[in-house]
Formats: sequence, structure tokens, C-alpha cells
Amino acid sequence: MTSFDSQTAGNNQLSLGIKFLGNRRTYLRLLMRGAALLMVTLGIYRFWLATDVRRYLWANTEIGGETLEYSGTPFELLIGFLVAVAILIPIYAGFFLATLDLGLFGSLSGVIAFGALWVLGQYAVYRARRYRLTRTIYRGLRFHQTGSAWAYALRASLWWIVSGITLGLAYPFQLASLERYKMRNTFYGDLAGRFDGSGWRLFLRGVPMWIAVVAPIAVTVGAFFEVVDLQALADATAAGGDDVMSRIEATNPALASVLVFAMLMGGASLAIGAFLYPAFQALLLRWWSSGLRFGGIEMRSSLRTVQVYGAYIRFLWYAILFAILAGILGAIGLIVIGAVTADAVNIRGEIVAAGIVLIGYVFVALGFSTVYRATVMFSLWQLGMESLQLSGLSALETVKATGRPSSALGEGLADALHVGGY
Amino acid sequence: MASGAGVYFDGITSARHDAVVALGDSALQIANAGGQLLAAWPYDDIQGMAAPDDVLRIGRRSTPTLERLEILDPELAAAIDTRAIYIDRSGTMQRRQRNSVIGWSIAATVSLLVVGYFGVPAIAARLAPLLPSSIDRKLGNAVDMQLRGVLDDKKSGPFECSTAGGRAALDKIVRRLEAAAALDTPLRSLVVRRPEANALALPGGQVYVFRGLIEKADNADEVAGVIAHEMGHVAHRDGTKAVLQAGGLSFLFGMLLGDFVGGGAVVIAAKTVLQSSYSREAEAAADIYGAELMVKAHGNPRALATMLGKLGGATEPGMKILLDHPETKARIAAINKIAGARPGPPFLETGEWAALKRICAG
Repeated sequence: MTSFDSQTAGNNQLSLGIKFLGNRRTYLRLLMRGAALLMVTLGIYRFWLATDVRRYLWANTEIGGETLEYSGTPFELLIGFLVAVAILIPIYAGFFLATLDLGLFGSLSGVIAFGALWVLGQYAVYRARRYRLTRTIYRGLRFHQTGSAWAYALRASLWWIVSGITLGLAYPFQLASLERYKMRNTFYGDLAGRFDGSGWRLFLRGVPMWIAVVAPIAVTVGAFFEVVDLQALADATAAGGDDVMSRIEATNPALASVLVFAMLMGGASLAIGAFLYPAFQALLLRWWSSGLRFGGIEMRSSLRTVQVYGAYIRFLWYAILFAILAGILGAIGLIVIGAVTADAVNIRGEIVAAGIVLIGYVFVALGFSTVYRATVMFSLWQLGMESLQLSGLSALETVKATGRPSSALGEGLADALHVGGY
Repeated sequence: MASGAGVYFDGITSARHDAVVALGDSALQIANAGGQLLAAWPYDDIQGMAAPDDVLRIGRRSTPTLERLEILDPELAAAIDTRAIYIDRSGTMQRRQRNSVIGWSIAATVSLLVVGYFGVPAIAARLAPLLPSSIDRKLGNAVDMQLRGVLDDKKSGPFECSTAGGRAALDKIVRRLEAAAALDTPLRSLVVRRPEANALALPGGQVYVFRGLIEKADNADEVAGVIAHEMGHVAHRDGTKAVLQAGGLSFLFGMLLGDFVGGGAVVIAAKTVLQSSYSREAEAAADIYGAELMVKAHGNPRALATMLGKLGGATEPGMKILLDHPETKARIAAINKIAGARPGPPFLETGEWAALKRICAG
């Protein structure tokens, strides 16, 4: 390993890796069965699927010879969701009534609702993490999380605003700060966690990618101000009428070419972003997991970027195979629709046809999501775990039990607000 | 096989104990390497926990501590499995639970659809009359603002058509209908410069008659019939009901169901089909109201049917379950059933009718 490791290994007796015992085929079978049941139950099965997935991933992750255990149950998630719905009903009803109001409050209600639900979403993220941690058992002890979910939600919301204003440049510092808060409040038994990752480090590594994505857009904006006569443009628009476009063209002959250029550059920015995304994810995962600490236990990730690209290439490959399969099934579906609706238009035929189209759409969407989870998400878990090198594991011999299981309300809120994780 | 090796965690510290596990008569005996008893677990208190395939991991049901015992030896694991009922290695209990989940979810879906089909319109119908009419007006103003933005093309002249003669003729029709209807909200009617043959009622009592409709009408009673139909929407407060229905459906389906990839489409489809069905019912009810109002105002209800025949006479393409109006034939039949006695005088004199026809000429 690197020179850092030999240093820590020198003054520490235990340095171990993490093993992942799962295999993709079993995991895929679990996901496929889950997708079929999601379709049949219109989504209610998600609590069972989430539990199955976590049980599988946790149970097959072996740290120092012992595997993790996920002890949450689907019923806890279901109840958490129902409680969350009960909390959200009056909130949604209030905002619905506010939209009927024509005054200032009515017109602002959309923004207020978005802001309030955003903060609530961050609150849910923190509470959901607490649930997952207290359902994670290792060597007969559970993890737990202290700290205030509201304090976290406030912190996270302010950071999101700062990151938004700085076009993402503050994002590394946001991650570092929020992770510090989370890990400071995370415990394995009585062993306190902390986060040692530095925002600056992530910033310096990430900023070339940021430049690669933002540069085309910046060039476009520059070109716009350089070439386009803003005064003339404003005059032409202000005059109104039907011939706005022709007037703009007359006063600003370069505008059309600037617009074409902008579209090309926007496309380039998107393409670069998509191409760099796996590298960004690898960077993030490496940085994050190398910063995790529990007492004397330190982690170091040797995740290689090319491995993450491998996961995405596998995804593309399986996605193409699935698309071919879906295409064949779709053709059969069209033939059936043709047969049903051939003789005269009757209402039963219409319902059958609409039903087939709908089922086809859901099948395709669920299929791609399953392929994604079985390739990218599975590989990221596996690679993330197996690339970790742990030192100071002797601390594990003397950890004492503390902490109690928490309710699944956070998971329920996260689910109802669509901010869920694993 | 009466005993074997296991790994024991006492749930108090993270220390790992190599243990000797013996199958007692009623309890599992867990001892350390020296033979000292660490724990005795009654078999019916033992529960299987999530673990990799080749490990049997068990804990106790009755204690909040997280004592764990792990068995690697498959024979010993099988022997424990046969004695403890809450170890579900074959997945039988899990399968049974899964089947009951499927059953209950389907029941829940059916129940939600029933509530969506019968409950939501019933609740909206009860709730709408309870809301103060100021809400209708506010809603109407909001819709009015949006509609003007969409419909007003700002090209061919002012949005509202209002030559003096035409305006007077329109007012005469509306006054006669209003006198017969006795609505509790005053009507505000106007002709708008649009080529389509259509009319709209906004919440709060605004009625838009499109220029295309007046051009297509052969006499004043046909226009009056359409306005009577729109007054039906105003009287039934259909605009407010529609807002309540949409909110109810969004809540019902958006929140409780369909939160999975691709589920959004299912929710949208269910909402669209249900909302079309609500709308068809509202249209049918407005037809009846319009025809009865025409009878009350001593006009000719058949004029509304004639007008509908002209508008919907052509084939109606698209899917019936997505149509927001009932089939024209059925509407005409329902209206003609109401039409009975010979009608009174026409709504407008010939001259006035000619003026209404030219309302957009100015």
C-alpha cells in the first residue's frame, strides 16, 4: 500500500480489509422479484424490498471476520411512512388552501412550500440515518446517532443555499461540514465517530472537473455579452407586437449564431458532465470513506477511478440488453393491442390497450432501475467496501453497548418527500 | 450431534467469545471454552437474524440487548433450526408474510380506486356549497387572468367583443335566463374574439361565449341554450368542485400509492381517467340544468340539443375513457326527453339577433 499505510501499520497491530461476500446473481434475483412485486402492489412492497436489500448488503459485508447485521423490519418502515403521511396531510392541505388565496401569501405560497418541504426533507435525511444506524448491528452491539435533526436540517439548508449561489464551488465544504456533524454524533457502542476529511482537499481535486463542465457555459455567456447589442435587444423586446423576432434579428444579426453556439456549448457541457460523473463519484467515495474514524479505528480507501467506470460500462451493457428485450416484448404488446382494438372502437378494448401501454411503461422504467441497482449501486457498495483498509481494529475488543433503537419516522418522511437513500 | 462450536457475543461488549454450544432439552446451552455456562436460551425464545448464507445467526426474542450466537457448522445449525420455531431458514414464514402483503396491497388499491371513483366527487359535492362564494370569485379571477393570457392573441382586435347592439342583445338573453334561474351569484357574460365554437363558465359566475359559437348558431335560442348549460356549471359550482377533486385525487394517489420508479405514470393515468369521468358527469348534469332552465324561461330546450349536434356532429376521435364530455348522441337524447310543451317567444327579435351576430364587427 501507500507510504501512509506503512506509517500507521507501524504503530498499530491490526490493519485489515473489508470483504464483501455477496454475489451479483443472488442480488439481481432479489431485485427482480422486488420489482415484480412493486408492480403488483403499486409500490407498497417498497418497504419489504428496501429491508431485503439492506439485509443482504449488510449481512454480506465482513469487517475483521464478522459480518454486519441489519435488524430493521418492513413493518417499522410502513408505520414510519403512515405516521409521516399523517404529519404531512395538514401541511399539504394548508399549502393547497394557500394557493387559492390571491394575495401576496397566495402567490408566494409555492416558494414557501418548497422551502419548508426542503428543510423537512433534510430533517428526514438525518432521522432516516439515525434509524439505519440503530438497526445496524456488529458484534452484538448497535450503532447509534445523537444530535438534533432540526439543527442538521438548518445547517444543511443554509449550506445548500451557499452551494447554489457559488454554482457548486462550496459543495466540498458543505459535504465536509455536514459529514463532520453526522460523524461527530455517530457512535458504535460507546466508540465515538468523527470525520477527518478536509473540504479543501476535495475542492482541489474536484475543481478541474468543475472547470471542465462550467467552461463551455462561461464561454457562451461571455460571447453573448461580447456580440449581442443588449440595448437594441431590450428595445426590440420592449416594443412588443408580432414582429419582435424580426426586429431582434434586424438589430442583432449575430444573435442567431450566438444561440446556435449556446446550444452546442450546452450540449458539450452536459456531455463532459456525464463523462466525468463516474470519476466524480469515485473521488467523492474515496474522499468520504478515507475520512471516517471511530475512536482509534481509521479507514483509508484505495478505490480506483477506472473501477467505477467499469461499473458504469457494465450498466450500459446490461441496459442495452434489457432495451432489446423490452423492444421485443413491446412489439408483441403492439400486436395484441392491434388485435383488441381492430374491430370497432369499444370501451373495453380501449381500457385493455391503455392498460397494456401503462404496464409496458412501468415494466421498462422498473427494468432500467433494476439494472442500475444491480450494476452501478451494487458495484459501488462492493468496490467501496473492498477498497477500504482499516487500522486500529484492536479497539473493537473493548467497546461497550449504548444507544437505543430509534423510530422509523425519518425513513417515512424521507420516503414521502422522495429524499430516500439506500 | 449434541454439541458444537459457535461464536458468542454477549450484547454488553463487542468482545468475541469462542463458545461450545450444546443442545439441551428445552434450551440451548452456551458455554465458554473452559466449560463455564455463558447463557441458556429456551428454544422458543430463539430467533434467526440476517446473516450470510453459510452462517446461522441467532438472537433472543425477549431481550432488548443484542446477544448473538453464530454457528458455522451446518449440521449443528440444522439441529437448532428443527428445535426453534422462529428460525426461518427455508423462508416459509417470509413467503407467507409476503403473500399477505400482496393481498392487503391489492385490497388497499381497490379501496383507493373506489374512494377515488365515488368518495372524492361526493366529498367535493358536499364541500363546494359550504365554501363561501368569495372563494369561487377569487378562483374565477385567477382563472380569468390565465385564460386571457392564453386565449387573447392581441392581433385581430380587443379580446372582448362589444358593439352596443350586440351587447344589448346578449344582455337580453342573459336577463331572461337569470330571471328564470334565480342564481345567488350575479352572472357576468361576455363574447370573446375566438374562432372556436365554444363557451366556458368560470368559477364565480363568469361566462365566456366564443365568437365562433355565435357564428355557428342559427338563432338566438341556440345561443341561449348554451348559456343555460354554462349557467348549470355556475349553479353546480363545478369549477370549485374540480379544484377540490383534483386536490383530493393528488393526495389520494400521489401520496399513498405509486412511489416507485415508473409509478408516476400509473398515478397520472388513474387521475386522468377519474377526472374525465367526473367531468362527464358534470357535463351531463349541466345539460339537464340547461334544458330545464330553458323550459322555465319559456325557451326551446331543443335548441341546446341542436347546437350540440352541430358542434359534436363530426366523429369524436380519441379514447372514450379520456373524453371529458359524454357522447353527443346521449346528450341530445337526454335533453330532448326534457323538452315538452311548445316554447314561448324566441329570445331575440330578428333585428336583435342580427346585432348579436355582428357583436365582434366593431
